[in-house]
Amino acid sequence: MNRTFNRYFGLMLLVVVAAELVLAQQPPIKIGELNVLSGSFAAYGKSGRQGAQLAIDEINASGGLLGRKLELIQVDDQAKPDVGVQEAKRLILDEKVNFLVGIDSSSVALAVAPLTNEYKTPLVVMHGATPALTEQCNPYVFRTSNNARMDANAAADLAAKLPYKRWANIGPDYEYGHSSWNDFIARLKEKRPDVEVVGEQWPKGGESNYTPYITALVQQRPEAVFSALWAGDLVTFVRQSNAFGFFKQIKLFVDPIGAALESIGPLGKEAPLGELFSTRYWFLQSQSPTNKKFVDAYHSKWGEWPSYNAEEHYAGVQMLAAAVRKANSLDADAIKKAFEADAGLTYEAPEGKKWMRPADHQVFEALVWGYTTPSNDYPFVVLKDITMIPESDTVYPTKCK
Amino acid sequence: MTLPFFFLEFMTGLASAASLFLLAVGLSLIFGALGIVNFAHGSFFALGAYFLFALTHGDASGFWHYLLLAVAASLVVGAVVERVFIRRVLNRAEHYQILLTYALLLIIEDVSKICFGADYKSIGMPKGFEMPVFVLGIPFPSYYLGLVGLAAATALLLWLFLHRTRYGTLVRAVTQDREMLEALGVNVPLLFTVIFAVGIGLAGFGGAVSLPLQSISTGVAVDAVISAFIVVVVGGLGSLWGTLLAAILIGEIQAFGALVLPEFSIVFAYVLMAAVLLFRPWGLLGRPPTVRT
Repeated sequence: MNRTFNRYFGLMLLVVVAAELVLAQQPPIKIGELNVLSGSFAAYGKSGRQGAQLAIDEINASGGLLGRKLELIQVDDQAKPDVGVQEAKRLILDEKVNFLVGIDSSSVALAVAPLTNEYKTPLVVMHGATPALTEQCNPYVFRTSNNARMDANAAADLAAKLPYKRWANIGPDYEYGHSSWNDFIARLKEKRPDVEVVGEQWPKGGESNYTPYITALVQQRPEAVFSALWAGDLVTFVRQSNAFGFFKQIKLFVDPIGAALESIGPLGKEAPLGELFSTRYWFLQSQSPTNKKFVDAYHSKWGEWPSYNAEEHYAGVQMLAAAVRKANSLDADAIKKAFEADAGLTYEAPEGKKWMRPADHQVFEALVWGYTTPSNDYPFVVLKDITMIPESDTVYPTKCK
Repeated sequence: MTLPFFFLEFMTGLASAASLFLLAVGLSLIFGALGIVNFAHGSFFALGAYFLFALTHGDASGFWHYLLLAVAASLVVGAVVERVFIRRVLNRAEHYQILLTYALLLIIEDVSKICFGADYKSIGMPKGFEMPVFVLGIPFPSYYLGLVGLAAATALLLWLFLHRTRYGTLVRAVTQDREMLEALGVNVPLLFTVIFAVGIGLAGFGGAVSLPLQSISTGVAVDAVISAFIVVVVGGLGSLWGTLLAAILIGEIQAFGALVLPEFSIVFAYVLMAAVLLFRPWGLLGRPPTVRT
């Protein structure tokens, strides 16, 4: 008995060592990850890296991809398009990465996208959310996270059911802020012609002082305010707004990514209550074993709860790995085919099903919206009275073929 | 615009003026006494905010006692920087001084990135000032009023120090005639260290008390030093009341400018500076130079 066990054990060890040797001989598959690691949005770069790294560790532990290990190289794009392009070129030319992934800022994503044609390096965007990115019908650009139009449409559908007529906007003055507000208000006005826009405020991304915008908003006397402010911008805005008692003067504040842990985490008890927030993944929502396993693994590895950016980067890397396995190749055209084949690649992420539409390479998925409420179990606000928007409701038409 | 809202904007402008004054007054003081154009001044403003953030761990409840520590740390940094670096270029040509302080700006920026991280820092309203006060029926941040009070008190104390104490007289004297003061047996090098440390301490104080008003991240030092120079140029280099007047003017211009042309509010401050440079190059309350050196 003992001898048999030892023999089996020895054999297993041999196989593992041999596999390790084979893996070690092959050069790794390099993944270049662009994120914001400095300034207002820095917390997102951190969670993005942690999510991607967890996926890569899991893939490597189960033998890698195509018999090769994965290696992650993360760089800071500073949320600046010129820096993003420069760093992406460096990753492609010097580091010889096989894929570009990540990208938090919509403006950076739009600037980097053309490089994919030039160098035939596929780009998998896991965060930057402007709908314009996947409207370019770029053959080697894929987005594995939902985009801002899906968020804004869902927000408008929910807002249309509420009694508020006087709406105002405060959003970051760049691609993401403008496209979110335009989509939101267009859809809301379509459903509710009685809605009136009383003001729009456009502080720059990374603004440090929101006071003039807050006093202007106060004077416009909106009932409800839509905002695409995110990360440190949202944290700073909320703190300065609290000083003005701003959230008590309006009836509702709506933010499509307000419930990101990168925002409600630092805010703690300062977060406004009863506001309509979404997040592209809410770690407490899905009761599936996949989600539970992911939350546990992430929490034990990094000592914090997974934010949506962490999950989107985890799921994005896993989905890319699925495409590589399906293609059995790293070639850009083979990857494109793998994503598009069989009516679009689907992947069961911790948050639920992700489906990539073959025409425009945009993933569609269910969305979660809820109202902020204090929690006894966590040091931040959580969502209650949750509305799930099913994946089928997030689909919008595309002109890509 | 109704009267209450006019008042709201005016008070908001005063709050940013308070922050601007604390930032710029040290720059003015240091230039007046040492003749040093301190390009690193904004870095010390940022350092004060970083110190406070690090001490409080971002929790505003410990704001007030950690504020004292942050200011003390800034004073020490100021004294050390003067002893180690500034002293060596005091008698050199101006471009040495500019190169040195600019180098300090870059070094401090990178060192703070290493020590405090590259992400943004922000903090809630300090203890006792969490709730707004109602002014003419409109809620207004109580801390903004507190900040205006702090800046006013600082201006008054500085004036009393400069004009009503013996040491203050020496500070004013050294701006006039360094050699004479040395001949009279005054320890001028020590005086310089004290003035520089106080200037830096004021910048650190300004940065720390401004943290609830504005988040900081990398790049804040450059923005701060530009604002500080605008204030000092408009007010007149070396003039305490000029700095105060210019800070109020620019704070109000930005507050009301943001209402008229939100995207261009920063431009108004530059326009004011350009006008002052054209028509009154020595600043609003500065003294016109009798001899150009």
